[in-house]
Amino acid sequence: MIDIIQVIMTSPFLQRALLAAILVAVIAAASGTFLVFRGLSFMASGVAHAALGGTALGIFLQESGLVPWFDPVLGALLFSVLVSIFTGYAGESGITQKMEVAVGVSFALSMSLAVFLMYYIPPYRVPQIWGYLVGDILLLNNFDIIMLTSTAFLLGIITLMFNKEFVYVSVDMEGSVAHGMNARGYHYLMLIVSALAIALATKAVGAILVYAILVAPAAASNELVKSVRGVIFSVFMIALIAELVGITASFAVYVSPSAIAGILAGLSYVLALQIKRVRDRVRTELPEVDSRPKDVTEPLNQSVSDVHTHNDGSSHVI
Amino acid sequence: MSFSIKSPSFLAIIGPNGSGKSTLIKAALGLIKPAQGTISVLGHDSVKHASKIRKQVRYVPQRDRIELAVPMKVKDIVLMGRLLKKLPPRIASSKDKEVALNALRQVNMDALWNRPFPELSGGQRQRVLVARALAGEGSVLVLDEPLAGTDAESQDLIVDALGRYHRDNDVSIIMITHDLNPIHMMVHDVLLLKNTVIGVGEPCSIMEPELIKSVYGPTAKIVEYSGHRYCLTRDSGFDRHD
Repeated sequence: MIDIIQVIMTSPFLQRALLAAILVAVIAAASGTFLVFRGLSFMASGVAHAALGGTALGIFLQESGLVPWFDPVLGALLFSVLVSIFTGYAGESGITQKMEVAVGVSFALSMSLAVFLMYYIPPYRVPQIWGYLVGDILLLNNFDIIMLTSTAFLLGIITLMFNKEFVYVSVDMEGSVAHGMNARGYHYLMLIVSALAIALATKAVGAILVYAILVAPAAASNELVKSVRGVIFSVFMIALIAELVGITASFAVYVSPSAIAGILAGLSYVLALQIKRVRDRVRTELPEVDSRPKDVTEPLNQSVSDVHTHNDGSSHVI
Repeated sequence: MSFSIKSPSFLAIIGPNGSGKSTLIKAALGLIKPAQGTISVLGHDSVKHASKIRKQVRYVPQRDRIELAVPMKVKDIVLMGRLLKKLPPRIASSKDKEVALNALRQVNMDALWNRPFPELSGGQRQRVLVARALAGEGSVLVLDEPLAGTDAESQDLIVDALGRYHRDNDVSIIMITHDLNPIHMMVHDVLLLKNTVIGVGEPCSIMEPELIKSVYGPTAKIVEYSGHRYCLTRDSGFDRHD
């Protein structure tokens, strides 16, 4: 144990990785949970790819000399916010399917833009665009950690303050508006802050980890846990454990920590589905013992005996 | 179109699918903007002063509008009726809980206070949504098809609870329904729609065979039973437009 602490104390990259694991778990708990509640799990990959289009635009603006100060990260953030606003606009009435379509359309649009711009930027900068999706939790620098901390902090605070509003918007958008809550405002706030967090987390730790950690633990918890707070806590725990096991495993075996974390997170959902199925089976089997209530049995017996007494050729029961 | 009824009233809005029942209500609450003209509710314009209208309104949307992927408990749904009118952080006081429990008692759902809402049957979920409206505050209750697709027991409980609530409190109830018969004895006014106002008045005055046939087609029938007229339309309700 002391050896492990010593290793952690002496390796700054490991400290950064552990901190990032906690921060990504916070983002998963705060953002992934609500995306799954709203049926928007696809948004994590939609936003990440939109950010890729934004990065391409940023590099193009820099290289072409049109806007030399424009950092590609700004492009990524701008595009992720645009996707969330577009998605929010499509789903203002609270209908999930429309939002999923909007995510799909913006996914295609930004990827097309990225590929289009790739022809107009110097080839040596093209890997930077793809690099946006291929982060590694063990290769973080201090800037990544600062960005990740600030976004996780912002997202955490906003979710703590407005979790009831986010739940109400997810459950009953129409009713929330009709009762006088500014549901549209919360709807956009939730999507925009989530998109920013997804974009920055993807930049820092890579797309695979973000997709897997943002969606699978929330989907798994939502199958089994029966309260909103319980789901948020459970998502945090599953995400954190998956990431820590991933990091630990990468020391023992030659393997990417994100891949291990992603596989574990994915398996948590498969396991949750199985547990739910077994649980449902037990629940449906139990009440079948003596399930016919007395107030039904008596009139039924009565009616059956009535048929017998009137069974003189007529088939009617009076 | 324009019509007037006494306040507080128990108004039923009826009409075939696609006749504009939900659209009228949504426009009145400012959820959708009228393509032309204005709507005035309680003296406020439905677009410019929607917030003033919404302060007075408790709304129950069609049941399928409630997202079941969120692990809400029965109590959370009912408390929503009160907390939506508060400011963040919207914490439920002991009075809120007491009112919510009492509202659930009205529809015989108080024993399921801690049950997960998505696990309930359709009729039970509808009863909880009606309890949410009963627990709230505001002088107008608006319910969109609260009886569609529910079992007989739930229908009776909902109708009785609404009737009782209307009798004991100074509130107006507006109910969109495809089937007037369960609430026939309770409503004061009926608004019959088919793209525009076809008729407004007491239930029996709207149940004119010719009027009903012109709206619901030649198969619609009026049946008289113990001095009241009932309408058989073969309409099955629940009609969702996105």
